[in-house]
Amino acid sequence: MSLKGGMRGMNWDEWKEREKMYACWLCNFPYIGNKQLHRLSEICGGPEGVYLASTEIWGGVLSPEQVTRLKEYTARWPPGKSYDRMREQGIRIVTVKDTEYPKRLKDISDAPYGLFIRGTFPEENVPAVAVIGARECSEYGKYVAKQLGAVLGRYHITVISGMARGIDCISQESALEAGGSSVGVLGCGVDICYPAQNRELYNRLARTGAVLSSYPLGTPALPQNFPPRNRIVSGLADVVVVVEARVKSGTLITVDMALEQGREVYVVPGRVTDRLSDGCNRLLRQGAGALLDMEEFVEEVWELYQRKGGAACRGILQGAAASDTMTARGLHLPSELAVVYQALDFSPRSAEEIREKLPEKCREQQIVSCLMRLCVEKLAIQISPGRFCRTGEESYE
Amino acid sequence: MFSTIFSGALLGVRAYLVSVEVDISRGLPAFYMVGSLSMEVRESRERVTVALKNVGLDIPPSRVTVNLSPADRRKEGTAFDLPIAVGILEASCIIPQGSAEGVLFLGELGLNGELKSARGVLPVVQEAAASGIKECIVPKANEREGAVIPGVTVRGASHILEIIHFLRAEKNEREAILQAVWVDTKQFFESERNMNGEKTNFCEVTGQDMARRAAEIAAAGFHNLLMVGPPGAGKSMIAKRIPGILPALTLEESLEVTSIVSVAGLMEEGEALVTERPFRSPHHTISQPALIGGNAVPRPGMISLAHRGVLFLDELPEFQRTVLDALRQPIEDRRVNIARAGGNVTYPSDFMLVCAMNPCPCGYYPDRNRCHCTEAQVRRYMGRVSGPILDRIDLCVELQPVDFFSLREKTGSESSEEIRKRVSKARQRQKERFAGTNYRFNGDIEASVIEKYCDLGMEEQHCMEQLYHSLQLSARAYHRILRVARTIADLEEAEQINTEHIMEASFYRPSLEYWGY
Repeated sequence: MSLKGGMRGMNWDEWKEREKMYACWLCNFPYIGNKQLHRLSEICGGPEGVYLASTEIWGGVLSPEQVTRLKEYTARWPPGKSYDRMREQGIRIVTVKDTEYPKRLKDISDAPYGLFIRGTFPEENVPAVAVIGARECSEYGKYVAKQLGAVLGRYHITVISGMARGIDCISQESALEAGGSSVGVLGCGVDICYPAQNRELYNRLARTGAVLSSYPLGTPALPQNFPPRNRIVSGLADVVVVVEARVKSGTLITVDMALEQGREVYVVPGRVTDRLSDGCNRLLRQGAGALLDMEEFVEEVWELYQRKGGAACRGILQGAAASDTMTARGLHLPSELAVVYQALDFSPRSAEEIREKLPEKCREQQIVSCLMRLCVEKLAIQISPGRFCRTGEESYE
Repeated sequence: MFSTIFSGALLGVRAYLVSVEVDISRGLPAFYMVGSLSMEVRESRERVTVALKNVGLDIPPSRVTVNLSPADRRKEGTAFDLPIAVGILEASCIIPQGSAEGVLFLGELGLNGELKSARGVLPVVQEAAASGIKECIVPKANEREGAVIPGVTVRGASHILEIIHFLRAEKNEREAILQAVWVDTKQFFESERNMNGEKTNFCEVTGQDMARRAAEIAAAGFHNLLMVGPPGAGKSMIAKRIPGILPALTLEESLEVTSIVSVAGLMEEGEALVTERPFRSPHHTISQPALIGGNAVPRPGMISLAHRGVLFLDELPEFQRTVLDALRQPIEDRRVNIARAGGNVTYPSDFMLVCAMNPCPCGYYPDRNRCHCTEAQVRRYMGRVSGPILDRIDLCVELQPVDFFSLREKTGSESSEEIRKRVSKARQRQKERFAGTNYRFNGDIEASVIEKYCDLGMEEQHCMEQLYHSLQLSARAYHRILRVARTIADLEEAEQINTEHIMEASFYRPSLEYWGY
């Protein structure tokens, strides 16, 4: 059956559905590169065309080995079967040719041919910010990621991230918490929750945001999958924020890709003694933007977005700002607690270190009980038997 | 001819009297030994006959039968050599009939007739005294150990000939041959006690105020303690000094400890009493029988040797999980029952558990500048310590890496004596509180009676409620905090637990989030 014949016999929606079925078949084939996908589809005029094309045409793009594998694969998973299986799991496929395909991603070189999406992709007429950083992050990183996610969520800026442990998942969680939307880009099949402990976030994203991946369903999370995944993370965003990164890290790969794609890069500065902030501070030196104030940053993101020709819908902004002032409440702590609270930091400090910082000497019993009181008030957390951090729930002046 | 000699055998840390009956009669030459004997007791036939031959005594070929009564209890050890030899001597009329009456013998013989040290002299002599025996002859090496028991004459001999000489002599000449050993237990105990505590002292530990405080609380309430910290922070150093801040052993405690050491055969030659609090620190490769006690022939394990003292487990996650899990019941019951084919014995195991561990495989977590361990690695490392063991630990404290300045600064640390004074006071309060009950220390308080002993006022109850919710405590953790708060209140000499005490106690709780439970 030729492509035209197919079109004549059915309406637009049905044809679209057929195309998707074949796209699903094609994109689920694991032994094919992204460039090859693009070329094959171009030559044959769409995924259905690829399916109907002769092996010679396949051979024009693919190696003989790939052709045999594709044949075997097709025999095992006829298009209808794999498509039905996918739909049962609530997963959609979007190809470059589709209108739902994220616009920002279309512009990047090496845009993934097909994306598997679970959930609904958020509105594209708002800015999107990728928040990335170390998996093994410090309390400081956790705090910034949490604040940043919340502010972005409040101002309806989409948070893009990789759903990994640490910075990724914290920023995404707090964005959803604040009522924002978020997109998780996976380095494995979209039907797999990796890392498994983020199951809750995964489910939430599937409900209120989107989880997407360019990898065939069932692909395990292999290390080599992550750098290509990172290009999607930065590609989906207007601005990339690095919260914490060591000098050698996957986060910096994402930054390189973001720069290639022409995305703005912002960095959260850290202390020069923190190894976890080395990567960030280096980027600063190389000219990355510094994220110093969350609200200011949000302003800048909006400006940038509008300059790029984004639709102005800043009406939301005013409302958000108003609700923001409502949440920040002043703290009235007894003086001894206030002193101890001020000695706390986002990096873990031991009770002994805190005592050193106090203006007057006091016994360890007193320090300890003040610290525990702060924990009860949720102003501090005991992250290990002897060390405490600020939680940063409130801004205390 | 027939003779009966007294000796003793061990059952757990107690002893029972054994009468060694020897019969020599005419007939085909033979040597029979009966009475449920183990291999080493049977071998005593060879040692005794050869030793007697080598000291120049001729036993004419005859039919010798030795019975160790009560014959249904299994007997072990080499201490029956001497009573068997004396029995043979009496039955063959080499020493006068009745000369060994009312005397208990204990000791191993060498082939040259020399007497070697024996295991468990203290409990045997104790039992002898209790059953009315007036005189004991033991190897020279163990004489002081036996002599601490009042009401019984203990003589030490180094060779079988001395004993033969002694038994042949008239009653009034005997004292000149083998002198009775006297140890003035009370005075000896006091003088020994004063000599202790000089070796290690808390003033050598610089910095680590939190850990020092935790050790003090643990010592005062007999709580189990866990120290987490990077390598070289001083975990073992503090652990070694904990026995020094515990109140000194009382005489009864000292006798208990000495019995166990004596049963384990670990008494030093000429040592009379163990007067120092035991401190046992087994290597982490220790096997379960070595820790708990046991073997085919039950012997006290490390936990019993640490009775009334400190059992220190360094590198806690490296211990085999099954070994650690076996600790649960002895910690609860304060004694351990070992049932084997060879017998069923109970050893006391009332020890304070002190553990130390690194926070992660590399040792520097949560210092992210130095530690590259992933969250999962840290969790896995922590997870090696089983939850049930953690449940039995009341106090958990983290040590900080020692910096250069605190190493240089040698002043300002309290000495063990000062801490011990406070601990003793707190213990005195506990003694009064628990008078007439099964409990002795705050660490023993069970959940069912916690409200009776850890009574809270309105404000304190509110405080506990807040803690319970904000720290997401479990019921166990809640009780732990109360127990520790009680001890802190005792240390501060407060009748009532106040919120400060509770807050401090909650700081030392092994927190659930940290352990990933």
